[in-house]
Amino acid sequence: MLVIGIESSAHTFGVGIVSDGKVLANEKMMYDVGTHGIIPVKVAETHIKNSAAVIQSALDKAGIKISELEGVGYTKGPGIGPCLQVGQIAAKTIAKRLKLKIAPVNHAVAHAEITKREGGFKDPIILYVSGGNSQILKITDKPFRHYHILGETFDIGVGNMLDAFAREIKLKPAWGSTVAKLAMEGKYIEMPYTVKGMDFAFSGLLTYASELAGKAKNEDLCYSIQETSFAMLCEATERALLLTNSRELGVCGGVAQSNRLKEMLASVCKEHRMKFGFARNEYNADNGAMIAFVAERMLEKGSHQPLEKCDVQQRYRIDRAMVY
Amino acid sequence: MRLLSEGAESRVFVTSIFGKSAVAKLRHAKAYRIEQIDGTLRKTRTKKEARAMNKAREVCGRVPALLGVGKFTLYMEKIEGTLLKDVKNQRVDYGEIGKTLAKMHDADVVHGDFTPANIIINKSGAWIIDFGLSDITDSIEDKALDLLLMKRSIDRKLYAGMESAYSKELKNSKLVLDRLADIEKRGRYQVRSLA
Ligand SMILES: Nc1ncnc2c1ncn2[C@@H]1O[C@H](COP(=O)(O)OP(=O)(O)OP(=O)(O)O)[C@@H](O)[C@H]1O
Ligand SMILES: [Mg+2]
Repeated sequence: MLVIGIESSAHTFGVGIVSDGKVLANEKMMYDVGTHGIIPVKVAETHIKNSAAVIQSALDKAGIKISELEGVGYTKGPGIGPCLQVGQIAAKTIAKRLKLKIAPVNHAVAHAEITKREGGFKDPIILYVSGGNSQILKITDKPFRHYHILGETFDIGVGNMLDAFAREIKLKPAWGSTVAKLAMEGKYIEMPYTVKGMDFAFSGLLTYASELAGKAKNEDLCYSIQETSFAMLCEATERALLLTNSRELGVCGGVAQSNRLKEMLASVCKEHRMKFGFARNEYNADNGAMIAFVAERMLEKGSHQPLEKCDVQQRYRIDRAMVY
Repeated sequence: MRLLSEGAESRVFVTSIFGKSAVAKLRHAKAYRIEQIDGTLRKTRTKKEARAMNKAREVCGRVPALLGVGKFTLYMEKIEGTLLKDVKNQRVDYGEIGKTLAKMHDADVVHGDFTPANIIINKSGAWIIDFGLSDITDSIEDKALDLLLMKRSIDRKLYAGMESAYSKELKNSKLVLDRLADIEKRGRYQVRSLA
């Protein structure tokens, strides 16, 4: 089935085209967060401006005409309301005009599922680490097939924590990846470490590091906040792996682009001789291909929605979404 | 020393101290985190666990005696018996478990991982082990979470027996039980049991 997937839950407007599970195109344009973070309405405006061009470039890349499409998918949530709506409207417009079936996709499920495919996993634990989310997941069949949340952040996602800290010390661009670059030159300063079983919390760490801004060297602060937060994620993940007798770990989401985090998780798995894997970075950043990938499977299983039921849900929890 | 069990943060060995059988719980180094974080965590957690065990044993008597504390190692009395999670055809007095937890909470010892994997059953009763995630705190939320973990892990009738003994033993148990109901209503925890 030739399916187009549209993703717009945050600062990326992404369009992917998939056929029989194969990705034919994965195009995107991003809103520049600069130093002030995401202003929802501004981002949505940018998405509206970019949407037609990104859709066209995905069609060109796949080498198809829009009339050849056989199905549509879009991100229903979780995400930022005004941003989600841009993708939703674009998807509904295509579906309506071409009379195609349409599937609303959970963004987190899409990250997890594309990672499962790319990593060649059977039944892995998935650590999903992005801006707004940080969760430890495993598929459970009861009461319906879904990603069960074994552990998660009590407050903010690890990505937003790193971005907020980058803004605090005025890094440009204000991203976790800029923190990572500075961290390479840093030395360790003790910071608060909060893990409770398979759950964890980051706001105490953010407050502590922010209060040291200007008083300690930026390199040292970046190194310490990164080492501390990643160690917390690893500890909770290791506990989940052992408690569920799992033998495979996949990591996904924006923060999964971090080489340091991947190195640490690989070390956890090596100790227990477990398999560790992840998807290419283009799938860990927000992207349309993963949405198309999941939408195709949903549509093939007959799980489409009538147009009037195609809504967006800012807090669409992963454990509410059926997995096919 | 024979390896008895391997957990996420520690290895438990069987050994003997002064001719009595004992276990050594060693928090081994974790290669994934830098030494400064790893060393500090293992040291403070070992100390904290020792403190909670001692306090809990003082008030409820149903905790293995600590025989020694190293930098990263706890040596304690070995409790013979079966983990509650593996118990098959043995009578278990859930009322006693509730009473023991009440005594701990009355002294502000919160266990942090109060599940059938961390209780050993033998002829003399139920023994509480693994204070690795415990804390000394008057937090009503943390106390309610101890109850919730057990509630999610065992049969409803058995839990009811445990809870009623708990509330008879603990003066301000109503606060804890009300909070437990609150937490369950919040939903976040409802869908998250391992079982
Ligand atoms: N005092 C004891 N007497 C007998 N057996 C013990 C004792 N302490 C621990 N054990 C055994 O060792 C196992 C692990 O101990 P404990 O739960 O304290 O370690 P842990 O590393 O926190 O484990 P996990 O991470 O799996 O919870 C227990 O399940 C039990 O079988
Ligand atoms: Mg244990």
